[in-house]
Amino acid sequence: MISKRPATVLGFIAAGALALTACGSDNNTATPGANNTAAPAPTATTPVECGGKKSLVAEGSSAQKGAIEAFVAAYGAKCSGQQLAYTPSGSGAGVKQFNAGIVDIGGSDSPLNKDKGEVEAAAKRCQGNPAWNLPLVFGPVGIAYKLDGVTSLTVTPELTAKIFSGAVTKWNDPAVAAVNSGATLPDKAITVIYRGDESGTTDNFQKYLKAAGKGAWTKDAGKKFNGGVGQGAQGSAGVADAIGAGDGTIGYIEWSYVQDKKLSAAKLDSGSGAVELGAEGAAAAIKSAKVKGEGNDLVLDLDSLYASNTAGAYPLVLATYEIVCSKGYDADTTKAVKAFLNVAATDGQGALAEAGYVPLPNEFQAKLLGAIKAIA
Amino acid sequence: MSTATDLNRPAAPPAFQEINASRRFKNRLATILVAGTFVLALAPLVWLLITVIAKGFQYVLNADWWQKSLAGLTSRQFGGGVYHAIVGTLLQGLICAVIAVPIAVMVAVYLVEYGKRSRLAKAVTFTVDILSGVPSIVAALFIYALCITTLGMPRSAFAVSLALVLLMIPVVVRTTEELLKIVPDELREAAYALGVPKWKTIVKIVIPTAMSGIITGITLAIARVMGETAPVLVLVGYTTFINYDPFGGSMASLPLLMTSERLTTNEVGEARVWGAAVTLILIITVFNLLGSLISRLTSLKTK
Repeated sequence: MISKRPATVLGFIAAGALALTACGSDNNTATPGANNTAAPAPTATTPVECGGKKSLVAEGSSAQKGAIEAFVAAYGAKCSGQQLAYTPSGSGAGVKQFNAGIVDIGGSDSPLNKDKGEVEAAAKRCQGNPAWNLPLVFGPVGIAYKLDGVTSLTVTPELTAKIFSGAVTKWNDPAVAAVNSGATLPDKAITVIYRGDESGTTDNFQKYLKAAGKGAWTKDAGKKFNGGVGQGAQGSAGVADAIGAGDGTIGYIEWSYVQDKKLSAAKLDSGSGAVELGAEGAAAAIKSAKVKGEGNDLVLDLDSLYASNTAGAYPLVLATYEIVCSKGYDADTTKAVKAFLNVAATDGQGALAEAGYVPLPNEFQAKLLGAIKAIA
Repeated sequence: MSTATDLNRPAAPPAFQEINASRRFKNRLATILVAGTFVLALAPLVWLLITVIAKGFQYVLNADWWQKSLAGLTSRQFGGGVYHAIVGTLLQGLICAVIAVPIAVMVAVYLVEYGKRSRLAKAVTFTVDILSGVPSIVAALFIYALCITTLGMPRSAFAVSLALVLLMIPVVVRTTEELLKIVPDELREAAYALGVPKWKTIVKIVIPTAMSGIITGITLAIARVMGETAPVLVLVGYTTFINYDPFGGSMASLPLLMTSERLTTNEVGEARVWGAAVTLILIITVFNLLGSLISRLTSLKTK
């Protein structure tokens, strides 16, 4: 005899599945984590016109993941029910997906590259209108180290370039001692940890060494580490782990990872005194940043920023861009993109320092709001 | 007296009088090797299970974990849950099953009942064999090239389900085929003898006989595809919000949530990744249990 039960059993399962789907909710009350640093947020506000496409899609740099999360929280608070989904799959993927028209906003550590045809592809995606690079997220890059017995370390750009290119290999090298007078430095080898994968952080770090290193950095810049020494590690998380696990290690990672892994970071002396890694020093550096893009395409001239030696500034800063169409979205998307960017540039800035990023300086915020307004 | 001893003495000396030392040694060696490899194979599995449960079980005990999404939370804020990812995983698995199961079962029926040793059946078997060896990333890229690049579909959960279909069909075809083969021919012959048409024999006799095994195979296949990571990485975007629409927008799933949150290196990220791992293991366990339960409930009752 054959049981008549399969249908009943399947019915029970379907009913159970329905019951489960009935109780989900997007309402969350945030429980703050450990890192609460107060930092000056920009003060300007702008009227935000909520509405449009309910769920925006963005993809790109993993370096700005934390900042985007803070923006999304602010966006949901300001425009109830509005969402943005961010996939942190890397700058390259962000540009590619934006140009393919798959995502509304691309996130990238470097602006669209003309030589690679990215500018043209983006214009095509925006129905013949140029795409703009909006530097919405700034984060200092820390030179993190682990050296037993040494709690405070200062480096100059020149010394950093020497360490990361293998010219200085011992912690008690006279070049290290010259910058850290009074510190007892052990006779240990320096282990350089670098990003083994292609990364915008590496690109910016090498550009910085080239611009500020007074000729000590003889290698090329680029998304691959060209120093020729040390050990590679996968992703910022991998670099942070490798630095923390060794002794005598040094590497470059975003500030948020330094905070999360509780690593020590070297002070940076660009010629007018040692400056600690943090929001204040980085904000001071961004203030002097020049825009080299045309009109509302706010591509930054990082070389001049990196080479600056303003007192109290920490110029080793990573700028990450939101890539958006200046025109050419449909009406719903335009409305939502503008609302999101406006919230990100105003309300969203307050939570940035807590997430390990630098809030925008007032002057820069004004430029950004102007550009966002011009999106049509 | 001598007769009694003669009676007790075996007529012929026993074949195995004494196992010599070298054979005993070989026996012991083989036993140790077999037991050793068993432990060796089991150790990492048990270790993995213990690690995952020790690190993640505390987080899934919270009711919010099963009812809320991670919407509006940054990577430095505890709280929220993985409801959005659970929905995504189940929805993608379900859609995949709805498409894959009928196709796979009918292919198996054709192979066993109609095709037998025909050239087409051989070609189908060969293709299924190849398909079962295709890595999930290849299936994902194929669907990406076909649906998204060529047909211009947006990235969506439905595309993920299509890639999973490619991975699920061979598994279900193989198990169903094996189960239909072991249905005794006498049953079919008895049905034919009573004048029952072939299609009715298949629907009323052959499939119900193999039903419990087929259902077990399907549940195991669903449990397997729900843990696939490559298709979700390529074919759909991550989101922290709940999305019930498989045809549009980003949709989270447990493997995707784990790869995204792995970038969060602090204790919050660790909690989410390990918690999601435990959740996925729990869901797959439930599916496996359901599979055996259904197969028990639907198996033939012998009077």
